[in-house]
Amino acid sequence: MSNLLSVENLTMKFGGLTAIDDLSFDAKNNQITSIIGPNGAGKTTVFNCLTGFYKPTNGQMFLHKEDSKISLRKYTDFKIAYVAKVARTFQNIRLFPAMSVLENLLVAQHNELMVASGYSLYGLLNLKTYRDKEQLAVDKAKYWLDIIGLTHRADDNAGDLPYGDQRKLEIVRAMCIEPRLLCLDEPAAGLNPKESAELNQLLKFIKTEKQTGILLIEHDMSVVMGISDHVVVLNYGKKIFQGTADQTKNSKEVIEAYLGVDE
Amino acid sequence: MEKKDIIQSFKDSLFTGFIALALFGPIVGLRTASKGEGLFITPQWGVVFVLVGLCILGRFLINLNSARTTEFTIFSKLASKFSAITEDKAKHFAITAILFAVVFPFLPFTDRYFMDVAIMILTYIMLGWGLNIVVGLAGLLDLGYVAFYAVGAYSYALIATTFGWSFWICLPLAGLFAAFFGILLGFPVLRLRGDYLAIVTLGFGEIIRIILINWYEVTNGPDGITGIPRPSFFGLPFKRSPDEGETSFHLFFNLEYSTMHRIIFLYYLILVLALITNYFTLKIRKLPVGRAWEALREDEIACKSLGVNPTNTKLTAFAIGAMFGGFAGSFFATRQAFISPESFTFIESAIIVAIVVLGGMGSQTGVVLASIFLIGITEMFRDLEQYRMIAFGGAMVLIMVFKPKGILANRKPTILMHGDKK
Repeated sequence: MSNLLSVENLTMKFGGLTAIDDLSFDAKNNQITSIIGPNGAGKTTVFNCLTGFYKPTNGQMFLHKEDSKISLRKYTDFKIAYVAKVARTFQNIRLFPAMSVLENLLVAQHNELMVASGYSLYGLLNLKTYRDKEQLAVDKAKYWLDIIGLTHRADDNAGDLPYGDQRKLEIVRAMCIEPRLLCLDEPAAGLNPKESAELNQLLKFIKTEKQTGILLIEHDMSVVMGISDHVVVLNYGKKIFQGTADQTKNSKEVIEAYLGVDE
Repeated sequence: MEKKDIIQSFKDSLFTGFIALALFGPIVGLRTASKGEGLFITPQWGVVFVLVGLCILGRFLINLNSARTTEFTIFSKLASKFSAITEDKAKHFAITAILFAVVFPFLPFTDRYFMDVAIMILTYIMLGWGLNIVVGLAGLLDLGYVAFYAVGAYSYALIATTFGWSFWICLPLAGLFAAFFGILLGFPVLRLRGDYLAIVTLGFGEIIRIILINWYEVTNGPDGITGIPRPSFFGLPFKRSPDEGETSFHLFFNLEYSTMHRIIFLYYLILVLALITNYFTLKIRKLPVGRAWEALREDEIACKSLGVNPTNTKLTAFAIGAMFGGFAGSFFATRQAFISPESFTFIESAIIVAIVVLGGMGSQTGVVLASIFLIGITEMFRDLEQYRMIAFGGAMVLIMVFKPKGILANRKPTILMHGDKK
């Protein structure tokens, strides 16, 4: 299994507060790497550094390609998704609520469609080349909607979907940019057990069928333990443990971090 | 409805009456009149009494209406019926409206005054459609849209008076200049959103106007630019007696000379310009860039996480919106033959924003209805002179009470997977 992401000595300081302290870990292709830890451990901050929303105080993050590697530090803002192909979802769902489900998935393919529409010129002239490309984009959206079983609601507003479906839609929307690394920030938050199980299915499908590594922040242990190949545990910005799901379950440090130390 | 509710709404209306009294008492009740050598106060409590009474009654009726479970007032019924027609049969409605607009100049009751009002309404429709790209689609509240209208008008006026180029060359140039100013405004406000963006754009509108007033050497300051060339009908001017070697419109077509020819030509000109704006907006809304505008309005952070470049997306919205404002400005300049900074005050921006918001953000038909309603009603009460602004305010209040989300608030998806079910 080849390395996909390596984080080296990542440090993020906000004024006097050190949110992430000298964190290093790896994530592999076609694997699910979970980052867990108590509230305020710095999990979302790691994501924000990886996806260009924050500029880390120190440290390096590399995304490996076949034989080259690119530094994620160089990319900020929209370029993380556009150039480096790192996609993410958010703790509080960020769909485009007043736009239809299909439109949400087409916005995710914006950059290819922009080129296909000749930066709007071919589109305005209604050329066939553009219409064909647009059809391809719709087909791709349909492919993903079929997988999450929402094809029948493609023309409804995304904001009208039930909460669980919105979560799934946000994940497949991120998949529409064909990411190499998919970062999911608490995808199971607010889901009922049945929806959590469906989410597990979806993530396993992405892991095995697509050339994508998944980085997962999650509090729901049934999700974490059920699907993680590798678990990284954070507490107060420091890595306190890493290993497989089973190893994590039995680790003394992890139990102490969550439940406190026996006096 | 229960008795308790009626008493409650009555109390509420009395309170409204009290506020109305506090406002109208000094403003309307105490009127200053200059008689001879001094200034005297003439009380007019009768008028105040009537106004306060109207407020109490109006509030009471609104309360009664909102307490009902079913709509019963004629207004809301009419409004919902109207929206139903315009939404369900959107295509028929649009075709009927365009046909009506095309034959309008030749209807028996159409006179010079009607034509002038129609041209004015169409100008506002075009401005509304232009601003709809920025406000309705991209969600960037621009309170200085009149700046681009001014840039368009002045570019046209300056180019046409200096170089003597024809309308059809100056028009795209004016649009280009306005688009350039749109980008110029766009850069500093890229990081701003909501209230802050509104304030900066408002300031930008004022800056342009003040530059126009003070840059005397170029813009002729507050005196404005006179003698802007009138448009010609593909080279045929609308003149009673054409210059040597020229053929004027009425001679070429063997018609009796009439000033109406030019008015009708101007009417069709603005109609075509407005329809181009509309067609362009409807088209571009369905393209990736249009969808990106709407996505940006919905959630900018999500856009970034999907690789959409927010800078380019915002700048194109500003530039394209400004370009149509510039086209409308050129038309305004050639129609008036005289422009001065006075025509480009903040109130113009406010009216255009009101048209877009009250029409229903992003709705093209809504802009048309709101323009006709707001400008039409204000014009109908022109005989009341300065009081006609009350009609303008009243029209706004009516829309806000009965259609708080705008006349047409429904958004149709830009692309359908399952086709139209209806």
